[in-house]
Amino acid sequence: MTEKNIIELRGVEKRYGTFLAASGIDLDLKEGEFFSLLGPSGCGKTTVLRMIAGFQEPTKGTVLIDGQDMDGVPANNRPTNMVFQSYAIFPHLNVGNNVAYGLRGKAPKAEIDQRVAEALEMVELGGLEDRGASELSGGQRQRVALARALIMRPKVLLLDEPLSALDKKLREQMQFEMRNLQQSLGITFVMVTHDQYEAMTMSDRIGVMFNGRLKQVDTPTTLYARPCDQQVASFIGEMNILPAQLLEENGDTLSVDAKAFGQMEIEKNPNVATSARDMNIGIRPEQLEITSEKPEDYPSTVQGKVSNVAFYGENIHYHIQVAETDKPISVSVPNYFHTVDFNRGDAVWLGVQSASVIDLGTDTE
Amino acid sequence: MRRPSTLTAYAFLYLVFLYLPVLFLPLFSFNSGTIVAFPIKGWTLDWYRKLGEQDTLIQALWNSLGVGTVVALLSTAMGLFAARAFVRYRFRGQRAAEGLVMLPLVIPGIIVASSMLVLFLFIGLKPSLLTVVLGHTFLALPFSVSILKSAFDDFDASLEEASYDLGVGVFDTFRRVTLPVVSPGIVASLLVTFTVSFDEFVLAFFLSGNQPTLPVYIWSQIRFPAKLPNVLALGSILLLSSVLLLVLAEYFRRRSSASGVQ
Repeated sequence: MTEKNIIELRGVEKRYGTFLAASGIDLDLKEGEFFSLLGPSGCGKTTVLRMIAGFQEPTKGTVLIDGQDMDGVPANNRPTNMVFQSYAIFPHLNVGNNVAYGLRGKAPKAEIDQRVAEALEMVELGGLEDRGASELSGGQRQRVALARALIMRPKVLLLDEPLSALDKKLREQMQFEMRNLQQSLGITFVMVTHDQYEAMTMSDRIGVMFNGRLKQVDTPTTLYARPCDQQVASFIGEMNILPAQLLEENGDTLSVDAKAFGQMEIEKNPNVATSARDMNIGIRPEQLEITSEKPEDYPSTVQGKVSNVAFYGENIHYHIQVAETDKPISVSVPNYFHTVDFNRGDAVWLGVQSASVIDLGTDTE
Repeated sequence: MRRPSTLTAYAFLYLVFLYLPVLFLPLFSFNSGTIVAFPIKGWTLDWYRKLGEQDTLIQALWNSLGVGTVVALLSTAMGLFAARAFVRYRFRGQRAAEGLVMLPLVIPGIIVASSMLVLFLFIGLKPSLLTVVLGHTFLALPFSVSILKSAFDDFDASLEEASYDLGVGVFDTFRRVTLPVVSPGIVASLLVTFTVSFDEFVLAFFLSGNQPTLPVYIWSQIRFPAKLPNVLALGSILLLSSVLLLVLAEYFRRRSSASGVQ
């Protein structure tokens, strides 16, 4: 990854009649990074991708690719290529002709054949040139779509929900393969997805979108540890959101009264826009300790009752009803010894280190 | 589960009533007598043999083939653009436009024919094969539009986008992706519209002037009882070829539906 910006979006807006599909999008994508646009369906992430590809024109703002203003440049003249959600494999062409499609008439035949063979090798479909489009499995279609786009040597590869049509096992395998491919090629990948795990495992950085707005752009670890608000916090992984009162602000430290867990000092979250007296704190389920006796080495503790148990295999989820909050608190415990230690109705103690408690600020919306 | 037998009997009688008269046509075309009635006198292929000797019939056949070909090409070309627009885009007046295109299916032929004749005479077009072509194209358009609409319905729009995305322009995309993918639909539309024109009588009767198409020629021959078996032979050939063309068209139409979706 270099520090050069390959894509710059400046105040981009897309309006359909009265509906704002995307607005106020400012985004810099660095050359060679794997970037994901993450959000629930209908949040405008695909619209942003299609504006980069040139299938849609922004109603406001500019899209720059490699420093060039893309205003009025049609999709066929942009240095981007796309992997479509449906893969859009041409049904009347075989694998070789699908992959060669964009090069036909632009390079000598021998060179095209050579590059097709290389591209297919790269996606592990070497030698399948003559296979018909209808004879391909879902995973193979995805690889053909990748090869067909990458053979054009784009500056940016755009991927619209590239794994959503695959089953779970294949999806996980392709996540690693695509990540490896991206790193060995050094091309910028921009992926649209609604799957937070997909975004987290594959991306260098993630942009989280809600209702046409880009809420936060950060690395997966920062997004997880320092989400900018409740919405992002609960979309990326699971989050216990608890009401709290801000008592004092001391530079980078906040002194808060976290009702259930009592008073504590937590780190100020730089991504939060506003912090008023009524604020929220967040605790990830896996960062809570659950014990039957009051834990000694945890400064903040609360007593509760198990209201639900769910066994996931690699970990166990408990819902703990606590007197001070309406919603039960979720706790996730790794399955160390193949035992489920607590049952519905058990009285338990929860403990948390203040370093694990996330400042979520005050939601203004 | 067995269906009630009265219903089966009804369905059987219904089909017999509907299609038996049509089957009499080829039957009597092999009858050596000139009177179309049972009992059949004897079997002969003479009526078929004599078809080739009649110059006016051959001329009418060429007229029909020519008109049918031009109509098929015109209505399929127009239908292709209309169908793509109807399926791909949402625009003001779309429903009205789709309805108007389908209208010829329900307007009585005699009304269309007489008003077209008036129109063509008014603008100075004498009845000829040209006016028949214009009239038949109007009649065939709903068929080509509906066949091609179903071809485009099954056509993933991202195929065209993928082509643009790979650096190919609008016209080459149409030639390299759109046409090949909907080609079974195009073939089906060509066959159906050709058949519509080839079998059509009312419009051709009004608009053909002194250049009769085959159905108009047949009608003119029916008045002579001696020619009747000959007409039956001709009619049998037309019947068989129409059925074959439509079966072929249906085969292509289904292929177009099968190729679009995976």
